Order: sequence, then structure tokens, then C-alpha cells
Amino acid sequence: MKKSFALLVILALAACGGTKRPPVVATSAGGASGSGSHGTTAPPPEVVSEGPDIRAVDGSGLGQEALSDESGEGGPLADIHFDYDQSSLTDEARATLERHATWIGAHAGLRISVEGHCDDRGTVEYNLALGEQRARSAYDYLVSLGVPRDRLNTVSYGKERPVDFGVSEAAWARNRRAHFAVSR
Amino acid sequence: MPDCLPRREDQAIRDACRTFTQVLRSDLKFEGLFQFVPESLFAAIPLLNPDNPNFEDWKSIGTKVLVVTRADLAGNDLSVEARVHFVDSGQAMLTKRYSGRADNPRSFAHQLSDDIMALTQYRGVARTRIAFASDRDSTKEKRTKELYIVDYDGFNPRRVTVNNSLNILPAWRPDGQALAYVSYRQDRSPLIFLAEIFAGRSRANISGEPSGSQAFAPAWSPDGKRVVFASTRAGNMEIFSANADGTQVRRLTNSAASDTAPCFSPTGQEIAFTSNRTGTPQVYLMDDEGLNLRRLTTVGNYNDAPAWNPSKQYSEIAFTARIEGGFEVAVIDLATRQVRQITEGRGSCEYPAWAPNGRHLVFSCNRGGIWQIGVAARDGREVNSLATGPGNNVQPDWGP
Repeated sequence: MKKSFALLVILALAACGGTKRPPVVATSAGGASGSGSHGTTAPPPEVVSEGPDIRAVDGSGLGQEALSDESGEGGPLADIHFDYDQSSLTDEARATLERHATWIGAHAGLRISVEGHCDDRGTVEYNLALGEQRARSAYDYLVSLGVPRDRLNTVSYGKERPVDFGVSEAAWARNRRAHFAVSR
Repeated sequence: MPDCLPRREDQAIRDACRTFTQVLRSDLKFEGLFQFVPESLFAAIPLLNPDNPNFEDWKSIGTKVLVVTRADLAGNDLSVEARVHFVDSGQAMLTKRYSGRADNPRSFAHQLSDDIMALTQYRGVARTRIAFASDRDSTKEKRTKELYIVDYDGFNPRRVTVNNSLNILPAWRPDGQALAYVSYRQDRSPLIFLAEIFAGRSRANISGEPSGSQAFAPAWSPDGKRVVFASTRAGNMEIFSANADGTQVRRLTNSAASDTAPCFSPTGQEIAFTSNRTGTPQVYLMDDEGLNLRRLTTVGNYNDAPAWNPSKQYSEIAFTARIEGGFEVAVIDLATRQVRQITEGRGSCEYPAWAPNGRHLVFSCNRGGIWQIGVAARDGREVNSLATGPGNNVQPDWGP
């Protein structure tokens, strides 16, 4: 109980920091940001878990290996989505990544695996390349926002791990994504 | 090719003979080099005397080559005698006796088919195997893939990997004893593994990726000594080659774009690969040191998955092309740059690989939402799907 309360406080800090701090655009080797760079006053925990991008972490999972499932959709960091055959970030994706950077900064010790995924309307190998480009776009932007490189890695799944098996624009759009698997 | 004749009146021998005959006919038909005298014509001539065929009878119904087979069974041991005659001269081109366990008469037929093919200028494929990835032992939730091998005709599927992860892109080592493939089982990061499938040994990260780096799309040099692959060790996806133990790494491409899907030419001196350096994926060629780079595909805005015909007799590369919104397997002639389309109207087809003799292609097609392995002759005739078992079956590679 005590543990999950502490976590909620951290989350609240993260959400708060996200609104106050402009994104750092300078690209560096990383390491400038960290969990200590945020304010020390604790806003009320009620602010937490609001919004579609940041969901409260289930505290009971913190002691375990993975906090969000590999190539799923859940977890504390929402997926970002891409246009067809594109790996460039949309404005919406950038905004989401800015919130993610803040959250990652507030959660020292967690590692983020940035997964790139594609819809199934392309070839196996090129989709693995495209998935890597998508993961790399998200990775580079997070690094530019100050997330240390040693907390991130990229993994391309190409079209191998769809979250939606449907054959429709909506299903394809959902599958063209970067997913953020969080682990300790 | 008359039916195999049982040496004795015995139901078990009769059954073995029937299977043997079916499989041998289907093997030889598949090779596409022979025309068969219709069995309906056999009734027009006297019954075959297997010890002393009357060649004039067989000549009268248009036979050039006569394949006489007889089988016998002793306990669990099957023996098949085969004689292949030139009908014109009556000369026996091949006389062989095969013996072994009776539980798989198919393998006797495969062996004879390959021995008959050895009389031609081509190596037979009857004893070859195809490796592929499948989700048949997975669920929609798990979304895992494991690797399997089957006989070239789809029989005898056997599972290779058992790790409940994602195992993809199998590539036969040219000696047929091992598969290089990509698995996500270690730290959930794609790395190239080696499965020595008959020895039951496995080696991880054979390309020697540093921590955090991913490797994809392994392919072997014709001598089995080197592996060419795509790696993110330099940041973006580039082509590298290395010895099969990860030593002597050589970087072959250097572009800001993604370079992947490499394969060797039959001489081992050139490499074909996919790059999106012009904005769309296209197939490029370079030598094995990364020099002499040139673009191969110029038609269409999406070409991927080059597979160089391993036979030096055919100078051509199969690849996947987007044609009218769908994907098709096509082959480009390296001398004329003419492209011929292999698949058409079978749904979306991709990921071609060649039979070891370069006379057939295997690939995967999505029809009605299910991926199945397909096979075609190199001229695009005889496109058939291969019944390899349940699930989505993808990314085939044809072994020796």
C-alpha cells in the first residue's frame, strides 16, 4: 500500500512536469535528464492516472521483470501511431513522446524497449526495416528530449506482432505503431 | 512408368508398392523434365515381364525410358529393386536395389527419383526439405512463431524450435545440417541463432551483435562459411557479413536508409539486397566487399526479398514486387533485365526462395487471410500450394 502510494506521487510529478517543462530539442548523448530533475513538492495524488497517455502502473507488478507486456498495447506509456509506409513522427506522436520523456525521467531504474510495428500490407523484410525506422524515430525523439540512451533500446517486430488481426483501415492504423515495453 | 510389382502375393508389400509408385510418379512429374506415357495405354500391350521386358511393346506406345520396380518385404525390412531402361537400345541405364525400414516407403521413392535425376544434368529435389515459420503452435494472444521443416512435397512436418517466442526467417546452411534464423527469445531482441537441427545443438547471436543491437535476415555464402545479414549495430539497418562464428565482420553498406534482405550470388562474389535509399524499397547488387553498387529493380515502387538463383546455369534473381496493389513473386533476368511474373491471382505472395537446383521456387501466399506455402516451376508454370499443415505458414527456405 505504501509502495503504490509512493508510485502515485511520482506519476503525479511526471504529469505535472510534462505540462511545465518545454521539450528539450537539442540532441545530445543523453544523460542530462534524470529522475532528480523534477520538483520536490508533491501535488495531490488525485491528478494521476488521468488522460489517455499515462496510466497508473499497477504497483504489484513493480517487483517483476516486465511492467508492460512485450508487443502488446498496454502499459504506462501509450503507443504512438504512424501513417502508411511512414516512419516520421506525427504531431500527435511528438506530443505523446514528450509526455513519455517526462514519465521516463521521473522513473529512474526503468528501461524502455521501443518496439516498431507495421501493418501487414508489406513484405516481411522491408516491414522489419520499416519497424526499425519507426522505433528509431521514437527513440531519437526521446533522446532529443533528454532521455538517456542507456535506458532505451529499439526492437523491430515488422508485421509479426499485430494487435489487431482485422482487415480494415482501422486495424491497419492500430498496428502501425511504436509500443513502449517497460521493464526494470 | 508401370506400377511397382510385389515380389510375392502379400497385402503389406502391395501397399508399400502402391505408395512407392504414387510418390515416384509425383516426384518425377514435379521435376518437370519427363513426359509420362498415360497409364491408360498400358492396357494396349501385354503385361510387363519385369525380368525381361519386351521393349518393342513399350516402344509401340511411345515409351523412351522404362522404369521397372519390384518390392519385397522381410519382417520390417522393405527392399525395392529398380531398373531404368532405354527402350530404344534395351540398355539398363540404372540398376539399383534399395533396402531399409518399411515404415516410410516414400523415402525409397524419393531416393530412386533423385537417382533417376542424376542421369540428367540436374540434381533432383525429392530428398530436399523446406524450412518455414508458422504460428500453428501459437495462439492469437501469444503471437509466437516456431520453425518447422517438411519434405519438399509437404510431408513429414517436424518442429525445429520450441521456445515460445518469435522465431522467423530460417536460412538453410548449404550443407543442410543447420538453420540460421532470427529469434526474439533472448532479451526480446532479435538476434541470429544457429540450430544444428539433427545434432540438436543451438548457438545464440552468431553474428556477434553488441548489446542493444538487432540482427535480421541471415543468408549463407554458397560454401557455408560466411553469413550475410542486416544489423543495427551502426545505428540504422546496414548489411554486414561475418564468418559463421561471428569473426571477421565486414560492413558492406553505408547509407542513412535501411538496407536489408541480403543474399549471395552462386559464386559467392556478389550480394543482392533491399534498400529504401531512394525513398522506396528496391533491390540492389554489390560485390562481397560492398563495392560496385548498382540498382537492379527499376519498375514499380516496392521491390524486396531478392533470392539469387543458386544454379550458375540461370542468371536471375527472384524477388517480391508490388504489382497493382498486391504482392507477387517475380524473377528478373540479370542479362536482359526482363521481369517475369511467377504468381498471379493467388492473393498476396512474397518471400521467394529457390530449390537447390534452381528449377523451382517456394514462397508464401496470403489467400483468404491464411498464409500458405506455394511452389512454382522457375518459368512460372505449375503453381501449387504445399500442404504443410495448419496455421499461417510463412518465410520458406528450400534446403539441400
